Amino acid sequence: MRLASFLAAATLALGASGALAAGKTQYPLTLENCGRQITFDKAPEKAVSIGQNSSEILLSLGLADRLAATAVWVGPVLENLKAANAGVPRISNNQPSFEAVVKTDPDLVAAQFVFDVGPNGVVGKREQFEELGIATYISPGDCIAKDNSMRDGARTKLFSMDLIYQEIAELAQIFDVQERGEAFIAELKQREAKAVASVAGGKAKDVSLLYWFSSSQLNGDAWVAGKFGAPGYITQVLGARNAVESGEEWPAVSWESIVGRNPTVIVVGTMDRRKFPADDPKVKIDFMEKDPVVSQIDAVKKKRFIELSAQAMNPTIRTIDGIETVAAGLKRLQLVD
Amino acid sequence: MTRRLGGWGPRALFALAGLAVLLAAIALAVSIGEIAIPPATTFKTLANRLFGAGYEVGRVQAGVVWEYRMSRALVAACCGGALALSGVVLQALLRNPLAEPYVLGISAGASTGAVGVMIVGFGAGALSLSGGAFLGALAAFALVLLLARGARGGSDRTILAGVAGSQLFNALTAYIVTSSADAEQARGVMFWLLGNLGGVRWPDVYLAAAVAAAGFAICISQARALDAFSFGEEAAAALGVPVARLRLVLFAATALMTAAMVSIVGSIGFVGLVIPHAARMLVGSGHGLLLPASALAGAIFMVLADILSRIVVPGQILPIGVVTALFGAPAFALLLYRARRPE
Repeated sequence: MRLASFLAAATLALGASGALAAGKTQYPLTLENCGRQITFDKAPEKAVSIGQNSSEILLSLGLADRLAATAVWVGPVLENLKAANAGVPRISNNQPSFEAVVKTDPDLVAAQFVFDVGPNGVVGKREQFEELGIATYISPGDCIAKDNSMRDGARTKLFSMDLIYQEIAELAQIFDVQERGEAFIAELKQREAKAVASVAGGKAKDVSLLYWFSSSQLNGDAWVAGKFGAPGYITQVLGARNAVESGEEWPAVSWESIVGRNPTVIVVGTMDRRKFPADDPKVKIDFMEKDPVVSQIDAVKKKRFIELSAQAMNPTIRTIDGIETVAAGLKRLQLVD
Repeated sequence: MTRRLGGWGPRALFALAGLAVLLAAIALAVSIGEIAIPPATTFKTLANRLFGAGYEVGRVQAGVVWEYRMSRALVAACCGGALALSGVVLQALLRNPLAEPYVLGISAGASTGAVGVMIVGFGAGALSLSGGAFLGALAAFALVLLLARGARGGSDRTILAGVAGSQLFNALTAYIVTSSADAEQARGVMFWLLGNLGGVRWPDVYLAAAVAAAGFAICISQARALDAFSFGEEAAAALGVPVARLRLVLFAATALMTAAMVSIVGSIGFVGLVIPHAARMLVGSGHGLLLPASALAGAIFMVLADILSRIVVPGQILPIGVVTALFGAPAFALLLYRARRPE
């Protein structure tokens, strides 16, 4: 187990005592993060999180009082974090400007996307923050085995929840709340294992899943999940197959190609956003049932749809919800025992 | 003026040859695609649909051939034809070889309109993306004509006004995108900037065909007047052409034609600019022949470009606007080179 060995190595390296309980973080702490060495002399006191998942991880670790501000929200905060989040200022739902982040005088910027903080970061480059003495931490899930040079990026290797667990463990270590980190990871892992066990019949191997996020034009090419993103992981742990082979995170694929692949089940993205007509899951299903060609494929004829929150389709702590929802959906459709 | 083809015999022959090539291109377009469909299946599907032949064909394969590929090829043809026609008419009216719908800001306006609907929610849900693109295109075109009129200049001023209008609308698009959109929406915007035939269905065919046919009828009925315009507005007036009225009618026809096409497939560059020149090299500059030749050449070019857009990168579809320029520009360079004046 990658995480276990990581924690063991970290514990050894830091010479922490206490064989059973999670250790106290020894500062200065140096970590390797997305190709950079980052060092902390003490636990950050004012952090800014850019990206809903980063914010939700920090809130889950009980660090609301250390959050100076948050930005980049795609939907409402997780229900159990509502109260904690209420007291944290929000810069913007979209990408904040560099100065709006710096203005809060943070000592750490934790970002979910290389797109926002990275070599061509929309908010800023890591160097820009470091020049001002602000440390940066980027989600390993968005930089390890991922090429961010284009659009939504492409992966060269399957995403794994281990990357999210690594992020939780590292943030817990940075903030010296390792015990909370371990408890949180254990809880997520338990949910994951339970969902996987619920479909362990083995029949899922004949099932191919198409995850339809949204489309810029309802009739036009659909943004569907490539095989290496979070949906690819959900599919793999449940023993099924992704209908699309592209390594791109969200390739735009034509309906001709989709009907040619003849997926067993279509996972329909749900979201609060309504910027494109296809953002609405009802519109998506209505389109598939009315289109003269798509309506002819088995998945649509037999109404084999599973609705899933778009946030669970991106590499986040909510990917676990995705595993649970898809597992329950496969059972409901009687595709697994 | 050169006339390489004259008389009705050669003209009819030429028109027939052009139509035959167009039909061949459309046949190719319905046979080629991302999923392999045997030629026999394609043939049976077409026979069923066109002549009610009643062959047994898989519903999905038949659907892909008829509902997706056929409608797509026909819209590509109408769109290519209409854009090339618009180019010919604008080049004649403005007496400028650079004139074309996009230089006059139509594409920029359409993108702004679509982006406005998509991101800011102009029209509060009552306006579709295509509706926004259509209105944006017309607004940009009207603005450019007003600007040009206010400047009281000749055709060069109109082109300049078009460039300024394009810059303004491009800036507006960029502003809307950067101030309120995420990476995914930027991808959605690319559709309007580079064109895409992926969302085309039969209702679009009816609209595109009606618009292209009406546009062609209006333009061809004014072919002689357009010939006169080539000598300048004063010369045209002296020849008895009602200059002001005709200008308005033809500008409006090209604007509506282009805006309608942009609202269906997004903006596709290059066709309106280059096809008229290529056609002129083939058939000379008399509009009686140039208009149909350009329309046919534009239609054939667009259908072929769409085929390329689907097969160049396996598993991915290139925006059609990328293909028209990427493959059209070298082809045009070759034409220019071969038609160079002797030293």
